[in-house]
Amino acid sequence: MPNSLICCTPFLQKFPSYMQSSARRMGIMTDVHRRFLQLLMTHGVLEERDVKRLQKHCYEVHDRNATVEKLEDFINNINSVLESLYIEIKKGVTEDDGRPFYALVNLATTSVSKMATDFAENELDLFRKALELIIDSETGFASSTNILNLVDQLKGKKMRKKEAEQVLQKFVQNKWLIEKEGEFTLHGRAILEMEQYIWETYPDATKMCNICHRLLIQGQSCETCGIRMHLPCVAKYFQSNPEPHCPHCNDYWPHEIPEVFDPEKEREAGISKLNKKSLRSRQH
Amino acid sequence: MLQKPRSRGRSSAQAEKDKEWSPGRVTRVPSGGVAEEAPSTSRGPGGSQEALSSASQAARRAQAAPSAGPRTQKQLELKVAELVQFLLIKDQKKIPIKRTDIMKHVVGDYKDIFPDLLKLAAQRLQYVFGYQLVELEPKSNTYILINTLEPVEEDAEVRGDQGTPTTGLLMIVLGLIFMKGNTIKETEVWDFLRRLGVYPTKKHLIFGDPKKLITEDFVRQRYLEYRRIPHTDPVDYEFQWGPRTNLETSKMKVLKFVAKVHNQDPKDWPAQYCEALADEENRARPAPEPSGQAPSS
Repeated sequence: MPNSLICCTPFLQKFPSYMQSSARRMGIMTDVHRRFLQLLMTHGVLEERDVKRLQKHCYEVHDRNATVEKLEDFINNINSVLESLYIEIKKGVTEDDGRPFYALVNLATTSVSKMATDFAENELDLFRKALELIIDSETGFASSTNILNLVDQLKGKKMRKKEAEQVLQKFVQNKWLIEKEGEFTLHGRAILEMEQYIWETYPDATKMCNICHRLLIQGQSCETCGIRMHLPCVAKYFQSNPEPHCPHCNDYWPHEIPEVFDPEKEREAGISKLNKKSLRSRQH
Repeated sequence: MLQKPRSRGRSSAQAEKDKEWSPGRVTRVPSGGVAEEAPSTSRGPGGSQEALSSASQAARRAQAAPSAGPRTQKQLELKVAELVQFLLIKDQKKIPIKRTDIMKHVVGDYKDIFPDLLKLAAQRLQYVFGYQLVELEPKSNTYILINTLEPVEEDAEVRGDQGTPTTGLLMIVLGLIFMKGNTIKETEVWDFLRRLGVYPTKKHLIFGDPKKLITEDFVRQRYLEYRRIPHTDPVDYEFQWGPRTNLETSKMKVLKFVAKVHNQDPKDWPAQYCEALADEENRARPAPEPSGQAPSS
């Protein structure tokens, strides 16, 4: 069936330069990229390991014999096409254990526009209240109790605490919040998408990592001078340093240096598992 | 150390941001005014703050107070982007998108070039995502997105949701309807489903509330038509295929599904096979272009 939607000559005559410049800027989309994008959209946010699996699947469907392009280049190509749509596949790292992930973020507005169409006014306001508590907190976590106590102040339709509990769970399921032992913090995806919004809306309360200068919700802080660092940033900065000192005031760093995700270690673990398996099978 | 954006009291910044928090809206203030140069996509730490800042500032300036006069390329680009995002998000819920909603939430000031905006958005949807924007029924002024990429069984393993009906309860019902001559009574549907352990009144492990799913959700998504049969006592309803079904799948595909379930060949049902063939021939003829034009008075 011919695609009768392509040509719109009258419009082209009015704005010819618009079409030309987009063609120049764009990368190339093939069905491999389209299927990848479609399926990525069903997740919203996805761990790097699963993104690689997804990419491989798309090659297998459309272009079996081609070499799978390096993920970073593959995504950069798609992003160059998405740029004019004000969408981007952004890479982030989880604040607690440094796992890389990819999220589709909206660049067109600084507010949570994807959320805005998925949630009701009072639900969005509940999220905003939780967000404020999280940003104001010392640990980056807000307790369920404290959030629920604000239920009466919400805009829109009146919400009961029971209902609010369910809405909070909806936020967790949709990967805007993470829950740990009855406390809530921001999911990495929310940080990626709303980072700019948070900086602009809460300039005094927002915390920053001393190492990477990105927004910080969870992290470690120096008890002397108060600077903060993300857990993965701490791990990287102090790696194999037996006596960690604060990079700012040089005082002894009082916290345990965390173990974070290391892609090399994961691969080696996978390979050693395979070796063990083949040893076993040879013994039969 | 990076420069943080200008500090403003929380209340004034909050008030401005509040405008952007309205639910169901993708855009905020009507567009107009001059936009900035191209926003850069952010990569890596550090530099991203400024990149994000200029992107959002550019976007917001493009959305500033309305002003008359020619629109810039950037403004148009942003408008098309908003329209594309709106259509994608709305279609995810599988509810047909009304032209009035598009006008209200996205188009705003740009009413005069709506048909062109829609065409451009449709182009982008096809090129970037592989989705075709079609009108649900001619002159209905509601739209859905059709996937031009064929779903593949292995998709199910890598996707984050259930996807469109290639398997599951809807497919069974669609099959039932077609095999019974394109219309079936609700009582017959439940007689059949009961044999599969699916009841109208009992919560189902996988389908949840099957009655709601079949008589409400699938109907609202336009996969099924659900009409009361007049003069029946007790009241009975009949099901037919809805307009979305005809666009997303075909009689032949559904027949093949039914055949597979029975481990038989589609040709084992000659009447239905003939009907499916005729349907395939109809589809081969080019479909009418979705009209972005307002209905003529």
